[in-house]
Amino acid sequence: MTPNWNGQPPVVHMENITKRFGTILALDGVTFTVEHNQVMALLGDNGAGKSTLIKILTGVHQPTRGEIYFEGQKVEIKSPRQARDLGIETVYQDLALIDLMSITRNFFLGRELVRHIGPFQWLDMRTMDEATRHVLTDIGITVRSPKERVGKLSGGERQSIAIGRAMYFGAKLLILDEPTSALSVAETRRVLDHILEVKERGLSVIFITHNVHHVYEVADAYTILRHGKKVGTYQKGELSVNDIADLITGAREQ
Amino acid sequence: MGARKVKQKSIWELFITSPVAGPVATLVVISVLFSLFVPHFASIRSVSGIINAATLTGMVTIGVTMLMISGEFDLSVGSLVAIGAYIFAYGTTQGHSPLLAVFLALFITALLGALNGLILVKTEIPSFIVTLGTLYVYRGAVWLISGGQLIQTMERLTVYQVFNGRLDILNNILPGANFRTSLLWLLGMTMLFQYILVRTRYGNHVFAVGGNPMGALAQGVNVRRVKVLNFIISGMLAGFTGVLLFSQYRSVRVATGAGMELNAIAAAVVGGTLLTGGAGSIWGALIGAILISTLRTGVVLMNIPFIPADNFEAVVGVTIIGAVILNNWLRNRA
Repeated sequence: MTPNWNGQPPVVHMENITKRFGTILALDGVTFTVEHNQVMALLGDNGAGKSTLIKILTGVHQPTRGEIYFEGQKVEIKSPRQARDLGIETVYQDLALIDLMSITRNFFLGRELVRHIGPFQWLDMRTMDEATRHVLTDIGITVRSPKERVGKLSGGERQSIAIGRAMYFGAKLLILDEPTSALSVAETRRVLDHILEVKERGLSVIFITHNVHHVYEVADAYTILRHGKKVGTYQKGELSVNDIADLITGAREQ
Repeated sequence: MGARKVKQKSIWELFITSPVAGPVATLVVISVLFSLFVPHFASIRSVSGIINAATLTGMVTIGVTMLMISGEFDLSVGSLVAIGAYIFAYGTTQGHSPLLAVFLALFITALLGALNGLILVKTEIPSFIVTLGTLYVYRGAVWLISGGQLIQTMERLTVYQVFNGRLDILNNILPGANFRTSLLWLLGMTMLFQYILVRTRYGNHVFAVGGNPMGALAQGVNVRRVKVLNFIISGMLAGFTGVLLFSQYRSVRVATGAGMELNAIAAAVVGGTLLTGGAGSIWGALIGAILISTLRTGVVLMNIPFIPADNFEAVVGVTIIGAVILNNWLRNRA
């Protein structure tokens, strides 16, 4: 049965998701909703089920039970490629970029622009370099050249590039997996600014973290998972930082 | 607008940051040293000899390099060279159509390459182990199809001339030269695969798969498809090397091609390809093969007492390690 939405359906609605790995129950009937133009924090301790839930949304895992609705339509997401085609872009903590490749080649990986004459095709490096340079300037990163290797960049720059890539390719929903956990304070600040910018452009964001301090001020709502179950979803201002931290660890029951 | 314009790089900067800088530098240094200290080294005769000796290894190295950039090994290429050579030898010595012989040599080795790739992606056993196994299995297949017999022929068929005859156009211009047509095939394949690697979507995916397979997968790259296709390329080029080999020597035996897999890996690595994948070039592979051949010729011609000519392998080994140290240093500076 399709859920009944008043007005605009949410970007994503995951209904009663259960996931088993063998005998382990990783997710137990979790319902998770992200509204349009919302920054949703997905919080939980290690092993709470955050990654499993997101991997189901991005097509890496299939749910044992449960349904996914994208913009009101029921969907089955069978591969990362399919998730991306829907407009779901994911920035993973460590596997977002390929260090040995240039910024441009990373930026367009899997979506390379080509020119062709008859059966012969070749990469349109000039256009891709230009577009990459443009996006980087736009999000406030200065690099000497888009041909530079990604491995030479700092953690914050790498996150920014991955976020810029998602914005450029017209994502509707941006998923950030622990985007700030390896960053310095200044770099974290910059990434949080990018997230607000992404929201300003009308996208929705899921921000996964176990550290509530990183997400408290940018999030519009918080969903907390513990031991594969949903503790609850709370709007901004409903709870203090300490309340949320207590709910994550289970120091306080709901 | 001036600030946004890409700064024009000097030729030196372009060279030093290119993946072939290390291999070219090593080759130049070694050639200069040999030219100074080894009599008869700096001659068209020995240069053409060096290049001839490098072409068969070079052809195998192209496929091995593609695979290595995508993060995998193919140790079965030596056995596949023998299979390609036997199929081609049967076809042409028993009066069948030479075209059919070439087609079958490439087709069967491509299938066996695909088998390597499929075992890898289905079982997820490391390719080093998979192809160490098929190295022996495919060598066993050589025994089966040959019955242990060597094939040789005295005939000089046109097809042998086309694939690996004397390159008289060039040899007539350069006195003393002894170039063969396999050089043209090698240059053609090098350019083709360098183009595929650097200028096509597929090539971009090859780098990505070797550099960070999970990252590539997350961006929608079909990692398994890239790996299987690269094993097919590697197998097919080994088969083609078998065709060139038989065209040159007009003889093939059960042990033909044994050990070529390690020479190819050495040439790829000396040529600047990362053993762990994600970086490398086909031009580098070609230069790597020529570099190793240069060392062999140089050491043999030197004929010095404490390095007897048949101990040139040791010198090659030392140079491999030295060249890789240089390549790493350059890569980290670039």
